[in-house]
Amino acid sequence: MRQTIQIEQVLREAVRTPYRDLVTRATGRAVRSSIEQALEAAGATVTVLDFSDVGLVDLSCAEEIVAKLLLRQTAGTFVLLQGLREDQLEAIEHVLNHHAIVALIRDAVSGSVRMVGRVEPDMRDAFGALETGEELSTDRLAARIGWTLERARSALDVLIRLNVVRASDGAYTVPLAV
Amino acid sequence: MSRVVEIPAKFDDRSFEQFAHSFGAGALTDKMVFDARTAQWASPFGLVAMLTAGQAVQEAGGAMPAFTVPVAEDVRRYWTRTGFFRHAAELFELHGKVPKQKPDEQSDVLLDVTPVRASEDVHTVVGRIQEGAARIIHGELGLEAKATMGFAMALSEACQNIVEHAGTGGWVSVHAYKFRRQLGRRVVVIAVSDAGIGFRRSLEATQQRRFGDRWGDAAALEAAVIQHTSRFRDPGRGQGIAGIKRYLSRWDGKLTIRSGTARIAIVPSWDDDVPLTEHLSPFPGAQVQIVIPAQEAKRG
Repeated sequence: MRQTIQIEQVLREAVRTPYRDLVTRATGRAVRSSIEQALEAAGATVTVLDFSDVGLVDLSCAEEIVAKLLLRQTAGTFVLLQGLREDQLEAIEHVLNHHAIVALIRDAVSGSVRMVGRVEPDMRDAFGALETGEELSTDRLAARIGWTLERARSALDVLIRLNVVRASDGAYTVPLAV
Repeated sequence: MSRVVEIPAKFDDRSFEQFAHSFGAGALTDKMVFDARTAQWASPFGLVAMLTAGQAVQEAGGAMPAFTVPVAEDVRRYWTRTGFFRHAAELFELHGKVPKQKPDEQSDVLLDVTPVRASEDVHTVVGRIQEGAARIIHGELGLEAKATMGFAMALSEACQNIVEHAGTGGWVSVHAYKFRRQLGRRVVVIAVSDAGIGFRRSLEATQQRRFGDRWGDAAALEAAVIQHTSRFRDPGRGQGIAGIKRYLSRWDGKLTIRSGTARIAIVPSWDDDVPLTEHLSPFPGAQVQIVIPAQEAKRG
C-alpha cells in the first residue's frame, strides 16, 4: 500500500502561518508529528512525501522532518521524497550526510528513483543495478556487476538497513522504481 | 548622575568594542545616557547592539536609559527607515527629534530591525526577506539565483540561535551597503543580537568538563563554531552554524560571533580580521554578523 503526503498542506495545518517555509525546529517537530500520525493511521509500506509548493527548507526542518523520520523508520517501510528544488535538496543532503544516512528521491514526472546522502560506491553500484525496478537475487546482482557473492550481499545488507531496498523471498528491488 | 555611554560616530562591528567598553564600565542598573548625538552612520550590527544594550538594562531592572538622538538629520532619517527608533522608544527615553517615516521596502534596508522572540518570528523574518534578498543578492551582488535561498537559510539559522539558546529575545536586521574598508564592493550584512545567556553559559553543562581550565567565552565559541557542538545531546544538533559556514565558504562570506568577552571570526581571503579575540569588554548575550560580498567583476 502506498500513500502520498503533501508537505505544504501538512505545514499549513500544523503551524497556521501565512508562510510556506519549512523553518525552525518547532515547525519541523510539528510537521513531523503530523506525518507520523498519518503514517500510523494509513499503515502504508511506501510513503511519498511531496514537497511541491513548499518554500525554503532550512537545516533545522530538514533535520526534524526528514532525518528523524528516516532514523526512526520501521524496517520494511519506505519513505520517498518528491517535488524538491535544488536548494531544498541541498539542505536535506546536509543533514543526511551528518547522520551518515541516505534518502530516496523520486522524480514526480519520470517516476525514476535515486539515492542521496552518504552514498558509498558499493551502495551506489548495487542500487544502480536495481533502480530500473527489476527484481534481482543476490546471485544475479553479483553476476550483473561482476562482484563476489559476499560483496553483493554486504552492499544489499546496508541498503536494506537504510530502508532503501525492499527484500522479498530472496529477491531485491527499489520501491516505486520504474 | 548619569553614566554616559558613547555611541561611536561610525558604528559597526569593529567600533562596537568601543561601545561595549563604554557600556560595560559600570553596572546595568546604573542610570545611563546613550549619547548618539555625533553619530554619522550605523551598520545593522550597531543598531541591534544598541537595542540589545537597552534590553539588557531593562531585563536587569535598571532605570530606563536616556538616548540622545543623532544631530544629523540624514542619520536620524536613516535610523528611522531601519525601524530602529520604533523599538528604541520601548527601551530608551528618547531625547531629540525623531522623524516620522515608514520603513522603505525598496531601500538598502532588506529587513528593518525586527524582534526575534519565538519560532513564529523566524517565519516572519524569512517570509519577509525573500523578495528583497533576491533583488539584492542576485540583482545587485551578482550571485547566482540559488544563493538567495541559502541566504534565507543562513538568516533562519542565525535567528534560531536566539530562540533555541538565548533564553530571552533578540533582534535582527539586514542591510546592503558598500563595504569600503577592506573590500570596496557592495555587501549584504545580517546582524543578529540578543541579550541572553551567551555561548559560555549555554554550553557549560555539556562542554566545560571537556575543556577544563581552558573553559570560558572563547572556548565556548570554539566548541560551537569550530566543533559544532550544542548544549542538546541530540546528535542532530549543531548543524545550523555548520550550514551557515558552508554557505559562506561558497560565496566568500564572513562570519563573526561575539559572546561575553570573546569574538570568533571565520575570515575570508578579502579580510584580515583576527580569528579569535579574548579578554574583550563583557557584553550581554551573543552578537552574530554575516557578510556576503558582491561577486568580483571578472577581468579581461
